[in-house]
Order: sequence, then C-alpha cells, then structure tokens
Amino acid sequence: MKLMASIKKELLLLFSDKVGLSIMFLMPLLLVFIITIIQDSAYKLINENKVSLIIANQDKGDEGFKLIQLLTESGLFEMQEQNHLSSPELKDYLLDENKLTALYIPESFSDKLKEKATQISGTLTSELGLSEINNNNLDIKLPNLHFYHDPVLQENYSSSIANVIGSFLNLIENELMMKSIYAEVGIEKSPARFMEKIIGNKIVIDQMPAKNDDHMINPNSTQHNVPAWTIFAMFFMVVSLGSNIVKERINGSFLRLKTMPTNYIHLLSAKMIVYILVAVLQFALIFSIGIIVFPLINLPKLILPTAFFAFIAMMLISSLAAVSYAITIGALSKTQEQSNGIGAISVIIFAALGGIWVPTFVMPEYLKVISNFSPMHWCLEGFYILFLKGGSWSQLFPVIGFLVIFIAVCQIITYTKLKLEKLI
Amino acid sequence: MSVLTHIEINNISKLYRKATTESLSNVSFSINVGQTIGVLGPNGAGKTTLISILCGLIDSSSGYVSYSSQKGNDISGVDLKKIIGFVPQEYAFYHELTPIQNMNYFGSLYDLSMEEIKEKTNSLFLVLGLSHVANEKINTFSGGMKRKVNLAIGLIHSPSVLFLDEPTVGVDVQSKLSIIEFLKEIRNQGTTIIYTSHHLFEAEDFCDELLLISKGEIVAKGPTKKLIEENKSDDLQSLFIKLTVPE
Repeated sequence: MKLMASIKKELLLLFSDKVGLSIMFLMPLLLVFIITIIQDSAYKLINENKVSLIIANQDKGDEGFKLIQLLTESGLFEMQEQNHLSSPELKDYLLDENKLTALYIPESFSDKLKEKATQISGTLTSELGLSEINNNNLDIKLPNLHFYHDPVLQENYSSSIANVIGSFLNLIENELMMKSIYAEVGIEKSPARFMEKIIGNKIVIDQMPAKNDDHMINPNSTQHNVPAWTIFAMFFMVVSLGSNIVKERINGSFLRLKTMPTNYIHLLSAKMIVYILVAVLQFALIFSIGIIVFPLINLPKLILPTAFFAFIAMMLISSLAAVSYAITIGALSKTQEQSNGIGAISVIIFAALGGIWVPTFVMPEYLKVISNFSPMHWCLEGFYILFLKGGSWSQLFPVIGFLVIFIAVCQIITYTKLKLEKLI
Repeated sequence: MSVLTHIEINNISKLYRKATTESLSNVSFSINVGQTIGVLGPNGAGKTTLISILCGLIDSSSGYVSYSSQKGNDISGVDLKKIIGFVPQEYAFYHELTPIQNMNYFGSLYDLSMEEIKEKTNSLFLVLGLSHVANEKINTFSGGMKRKVNLAIGLIHSPSVLFLDEPTVGVDVQSKLSIIEFLKEIRNQGTTIIYTSHHLFEAEDFCDELLLISKGEIVAKGPTKKLIEENKSDDLQSLFIKLTVPE
C-alpha cells in the first residue's frame, strides 16, 4: 500500500516534469536519428558513394591515361577531367567547386616511368646475362603526382584514397617493367594474356567480423548508435531524478517522512521502480524506432540479438546502474542546479570515456584504462557482446559483475550521505 | 492504537557534530495531554532542535524523551509515529502536485484507507478554505495557502500530538488569523500542541503555557500571566527581552 502510494506519487511527479520527460525521451530520439544518419552517410561515403576526383592529366604519353582508366574502372570515383589546369590551378578549382579530391599528373609522367622501367629491366637482363652489360645506373628522378584533398576530409580517409592511387601506379609500373624486359630480350610485343594476368590477378581480401553467431548482422551505424544513445539517455535521467531527490531533501519532505510510519526503503524503492520503468520505456521507444522507422528512411534496420533473456538482463542492469547513479548525484548535491550541472557533465564525460561517441579501441592506452571506470563503457560493452558479437551469458559475466559493483557503491554512498544528514 | 497521557522530557542535551557549544543543555519539562505549549526564544536558541528531538527527527546527545500511554507503557517506534503530527517550517510537500494528491500520498503512509483520506481531506480543506483549490497545482499558490496545505498534511491522520515549527511565518495577517483560529479548534478537540514561534502575542493568545529558551537552556516555563507576574514584567515582550539573550 505504502509502496504503491509512493510509486503513484513518483509517477505524478514524473508526468508533471515536462522538461525532464523531454530530456529523457525526445533528446535521445533526436540524437539517435542525427548521429545515425551522419554516421551512415559517412559509412556510405566510404563504402557505397563515389568520391569526387578531379583530374588534370598533363602527361604527354599513355600512362597518365592508363592511370585514369584504372581509377575509372575501380568504380570508387566520380571522375571529372580538367586536363588544362596546372597544379596550383587544380588546387584552386578543387576549393571553388567544393569537391573532395583532385589528382595532377605531370607532363613527364609516362616518359620518366618508361625511362625507369627501361633502366631497371636493362640492369636485370644484363645481370642475368640476357643482354649486354648495362652501365646506366644513374638514379632517375620520377615526377611527383599531386594529390589534393578537401581539408575537412579525415586524414585516414585521404590516405586511403592516396593508397588506392598508389596501388594503381604499381600496376602501371609492373606492366611497363614487364614490357621493357620483353623488349630487352628481343620480344617486341609482350603476350596480352600475360599482361592481363599481371594487371588483373589481384588477391581478394575477404573482410569478416569476428562474431559468435553467424546469423548476426554486420556492424553498422544502427547497431552501434541505437544501444549507445539509449544508454546515454538512461544515464541522462540524472537531470530529472537527481533534482527530484534534491528537491525532497531541501524542501523538508524527507524530514517529514522521517516522522511518519514509513521508511527509506519504500521511498527509494518507489523512485527506482518508476525510473527503471522509464529506462525500459526508453529502450522500447528507441529500439522500436531502430526497427520500424529507420528502414523507412533508408537507415539500416536494428536487428535484435537472439539471446533474448540475456538482452533483458542487460537492459535491466543498465537501467538499475543509471537509476542508482542518478540517486547518488541527487543525494550528494546541495542544490538542484548543482545536481543538474554535475549530473549532466558527468554523464557526458562518462559517455565520452565509455565509447558512446567514439569507440574505445581508438583511444590512447591510458584513456582505455580510464574508460573502465565509466559505467556506460560496461553497459555498451554488454550490448556490443549481444548485438555485434552474438555473445552469450558467460561473456556477459564480467560486464554484469562490474555493473553490480557500481550499483552497490552508488547505493552505499547514497545511504551513507542521507544517514549523515539525518534524513533517514 | 495506544492512548497518550504524558510526555516527559528528561535532561536532554544536544551537541551537534563539529559544534563547540551545546544547542540544548539539560532541558527537562513535562507535557500533559491536551496542553498547548509555546516554545519561544531568539534565533539560534534551540527551539527547532528541541522540537526535532521531541518528534524523533534527531537524537539527543544525552537524556531522553518518553511518551507514556494510559497503561503506563512507553510509546515508541511506529506506534509513536502514528500518533504524532509534524508541521515543519519548510513547505515540506510536493509543489508539482495538487493538495488532494499530496493528502492522498501522505495519508497512505499512515495506512489510512482512501475513504478515510477523502473524508479527512474534505473536512480539513473546508475549515482551512482550501476546497476551491484542492485540484490545482500547489506551485501556483500564495505563501498563506501553502502554509495551510503544510498544516493539513500534518493533520491527515488526526494526531494526538501536533508539533508546529513556526506555522505562521511569512504569511499575511488574514492567513495568520485563520490558521490560528483553526489551531484553536484542534486544541479544543483535545490535541496536544507543541508550537514554536517568533510571534509573542500570537503565542500568548494561543498557548496554555510558554517555554522560554535562551542559549539552549530553559529560562522560564509556565502560564503567560504567571511568568509575567513572577518576573515583574509589564508584558510578554518585556519578559522575553529580560530573560533571553539574542544570538
């Protein structure tokens, strides 16, 4: 009866807190949408969309043309030729046209490549005794290609494109080398079949995420963002629940309750039940959006893990961790402003450290160690195990273990603080 | 439910953590059922500390308080909590809720049925003039209305002993008069009232006995007229100034 009355009171307080409800439900929805769309665009930019590449080919020979042909055939680029532009003009053009990348092929490109191929093949055949002794061992300075990219393009991304161009250059150099070797030994025309093999026979690398369940979907922006931002939203309930506790502490309600035939357990249990319910609703809402709405706007659909009970357990323990943290902040803060400020900032720091925004594996070693102190890291790790790796209960034990310790510490701090204040 | 007959305050002292002087020092007195005691004193004299110890909010450093029943037993724990009502100085309720929602919640904590809560709420709201705002959010109320809600919550379970910590502070004259009139009715129904205030004339008008505290010690106790005569003062104000030391 008392617990039910307390739950009813908490629900009424919650419904009256319009700002708190918006923060707990609307903000994460917006974040999930915005971040997933952005990350999905980035993913598509790399994997599906073509990168705009302006080419200024000033090469007098064939090799520049061949390079363009290889780049076009790769299907990675949306090519635009502006062969009349000099290197500085190409740079200006790139900035003016708001394109991503540009490649300048200098005038002597073919000549120098051929010259180098001839020199190397000559040296090789003479050393093998297939031709006369070649004394030409002067270093040939190859002309540089100029690769420009938009400054906003991430360094690793522009490096990847430069590597792609580099690999095509290797093919051209190999082809020239073989032709030159054939020529050195007196065969004027190298066999086309052989040349095709050299260019076309590349080893394919199969990319396969390591996961326990082969039916699991490959990692994508949805599989990361939906659980990640749901965890963030759960912990952000500190703004509503933390200030709710501070209000009760400072307005004398806790004191009044102390003179009544009720106890601390009823009061905090009611708060925890209501806010765990809120967290479960956050899960239901955000996950439903991932399952139903995302496919309608061309985002990857959220695929739920097959280990259903492990998923429910993970959801409940994460919710309890978030609620316990909010209660602790409420107990430790002296004013609502302090609770909101400390609560919100600490949750943002936990999120940053916990890998909500950027995965922890890209962090420096010392930050990886620090991230272990973020409860969000463990919550996210648990969901990664279920959502991305198809993991099982046994893999969740360390995660659940840490979260149980975190919850216990929060509860002990709260109890001690309220006891010291003679509120319970 | 145990029937209270007598409250005995025996030699209680209170030294707060990190404090160098006692907030209460060897305070002893007794209260009979049905009495209305006004606890008066300057700021920091120990009024709120005394009332907090009496209603079990804090423990005394030494001494004890006993609530005796008709059968001669001590009333304590949950039984005690059921017979005392506490109206703190702060508006200790939920401002985001309506008066009725607050009454329902606090009433439920006393294990009252919804019918009992409804009946008691209606009668209290009628007397206190809260019926017309019973379903409005309290955060829109004036200070006087909030004081009345605070008072109504303390009375939801019809307590035998009512502790009032400055129940009329910060309200207008009309609200103050209506609160005091209401408290007189409660008193006349036999409720024991222990009341702290800075309003001397209000206390003189309302209380059977006054307890003057200064620097944590009782400096006078008894009916107002008797105290004035004994101390050869003109009125309560001059008696108060004569016997108490400001903070």
